[in-house]
Amino acid sequence: MQPCSREMQAMNSLLNPTQQIPLQDLQINGNSHHHQQIHVPSSSQFQYPTPTSTTHQDDSFLEQILSSTTSFPWSDETGPPNPEDNNNAGFNYDEMVLASKLRQHQINGGAAGNPFSAMKMMLMMQQQQQQQQMMLAGRPTVASSAAGGGITTNHQGGEGSMQALYNVFGDGSLHGTMQAKSFVGANSATEMTQSQGSRPTAGEAVTAPEKPKQRVRARRGQATDPHSIAERLRRVRIAERMKALQELVPNANKTDKASMLDEIIDYVKFLQLQVKVLSMSRLGGAAAVAPLVSEGGGDCIQTSANGGSHPRNSNGDQTPSANDRLTMTEHQVAKLMEEDMGSAMQYLQGKGLCLMPISLATAISTATSRSRNPMINHENPTNGSHLLIQSSGGDGPSSPSMSVLTVQSATMGNGGGLEGGAASVSKP
Amino acid sequence: MNNPHHLNPTSLKSRFTTRFLRALTKIRAQKPISSSSPTEIFRRYRRIKVAADKSMAYSVRSRRIWSKAMLWKLRSRSYRRQDPCSGRRSGKTNQAIMKKSSNENTTTRREDGVGFVEEADELRQLVPGGETMNLCNLLDETAHYIKCLTTQVQVMKKIADFYSF
Repeated sequence: MQPCSREMQAMNSLLNPTQQIPLQDLQINGNSHHHQQIHVPSSSQFQYPTPTSTTHQDDSFLEQILSSTTSFPWSDETGPPNPEDNNNAGFNYDEMVLASKLRQHQINGGAAGNPFSAMKMMLMMQQQQQQQQMMLAGRPTVASSAAGGGITTNHQGGEGSMQALYNVFGDGSLHGTMQAKSFVGANSATEMTQSQGSRPTAGEAVTAPEKPKQRVRARRGQATDPHSIAERLRRVRIAERMKALQELVPNANKTDKASMLDEIIDYVKFLQLQVKVLSMSRLGGAAAVAPLVSEGGGDCIQTSANGGSHPRNSNGDQTPSANDRLTMTEHQVAKLMEEDMGSAMQYLQGKGLCLMPISLATAISTATSRSRNPMINHENPTNGSHLLIQSSGGDGPSSPSMSVLTVQSATMGNGGGLEGGAASVSKP
Repeated sequence: MNNPHHLNPTSLKSRFTTRFLRALTKIRAQKPISSSSPTEIFRRYRRIKVAADKSMAYSVRSRRIWSKAMLWKLRSRSYRRQDPCSGRRSGKTNQAIMKKSSNENTTTRREDGVGFVEEADELRQLVPGGETMNLCNLLDETAHYIKCLTTQVQVMKKIADFYSF
C-alpha cells in the first residue's frame, strides 16, 4: 500500500531543512530500476525523493523507505507504526532507537544533528535500495540470507524492509556491508564537500557502530602522535643498547631488564675493583689492598695497616722461585697462626697477602686468570689443600708480589702447623 | 718478548698500553722504592691508578662523555693538589659549569618513563660523568666504558705477568 503521503511530506519537511546530503547516490542507484521520479524540492539542497509522482507502488522502494521511516514513532507527525510484521517488538525497538536519535537531532536542530540523521537515513535508504536492487535483480541469496527475520518481498511495509535492513546490519552480510561501506565513503565525500568538514569523522564514527568496525579505528590511535612515537623510539633505542651491553657482560641471561641492569652494575664495579687491585699489585701495598679487597668480598679478613711492623722478607729477591716463596710464606703464616690469628694476618699483610675465602678467590681467578694459569699452585702440604694464587707485578726491586693465600677451611686435614689455618675465614 | 696482542697499532689497546707504560716508567723514575710506610704505599698506588685511568681517558680523547668527565675530574684534582687556592677556584668554576649542564639535563634524567630509576642512578654513580646523561646515553656510555675497562684490565694483567718473575 502506499504509505501516507502526508507522512511522506512530513518527513520531507523534516529533512529538507537539513540541506546536507544530496541524494545523488540514491538517485543514481535508484534510477537504474526505479521508476519513480525523484523530485528535488527546490528549497533545499537535500534532495529527497518526494514520492509525489510515484506511480508504481509495487517496487517503489522509496515508498517503502519512506514508509519505514515514517513508521518511526514520531508521535506528533506520524501515525503509530504498523503492527503488521511478526517481529515487531525487536524491530520496533530498533526503530525507536533510531527514531529517538533522529528526533534528538531534530531537536538539536540546525545543521548539527541533521547530517548525522540524514546520513543514517541515507544509509538506510541505500541499504533498502541495495536490498531492493538485489531482490529485483533476481538474487535472492542475500535476501534469503538476510531473511532470517523474514524479508518480505512485499513492499508494504516498510517494516519488512526495515527489518531486512536491520538484518543486513546484524548479520553483516558481505554484500550489504560492502555496499554500505562504499555508500558511507561516497556519502562522507559528499558530505565533506557539502558543509562541515568536521562532520565526516563524526559520521564515520557514528556509522561505525552500525556497521562492522573496519575502517575507523586506526585513526584514533594516532591521536597523541608525537609523544607515542617518541616514546616508542626511545624504548627501541634503549632495548638496542641493552642488547649490546648484554653481549659485553658475561652473565647475560636477559630475563628481565632490571636484573640485567643489576648485572651490569655489578660487572662495572667488579672491573673497577680489578683495576684497583692490579694497580696495587705494582706496589704490593698490602695495607692499601686490604680495604679494597674488603669491598669486593665480605668475608675477607682485614686488619689495619700494620704491615709495616713486620719485616718484609723475600721482597727483593726474585731469585727464589714462586713456589719457594710461597712455601716459605705458608710456613711462616702457619707458625704465626698458631700463636695468634691477628699477628698472622698482620704478617700476611706485610707480605702483601691477604686471606680470602676460596669462593671469592676462584671467582676472581677464573674471571681473570687466563694468563695466570701457570701461576696457580695447587699445593697439598701436610695439612690439606690450600690454593695459593700469586699475582706479582711491578718492577723487580720495587715491589713485592701480591699474593693471595687462601685457606680452605672445610676440607683441611688438620695436622701440622696450619691447623690454625683451618679455622674459617671470618671478620675479626 | 713481543706483544702479540698489539696487532693494530691504532687500536684502543695499543694506545692505552703505550701511554700507560710511559706513565709507569715516569712513576718509577720519580720516587725511590724504599718507602714502606702505608701512606707512601697508598700514595703510590693512587698514582698508579690515576695514571692508568688517565692514560685510558687520554686514549679515548674526548670522544666519549665519560672520558671527558674523567679527564676533567683528574685535572681538577691535580690542580687542587698542587695549589689549594687555585684549585678551589678552578674547581668551583668548573663545578659550576658542570652543575649548569647537569641542571639543564636533570629534567631529562628524572623519570625516563622506563622505570629503572634506582639502577640508573647507581649506574650513574659508577660511570664517570654519568649524572648528566639520560638513560639512553647512559647505556651507551656504559657499554663503551665497560669495553675500555676490560681493555685496561687485560693490559695491566699482562704487564703484571710480564714483570712477575
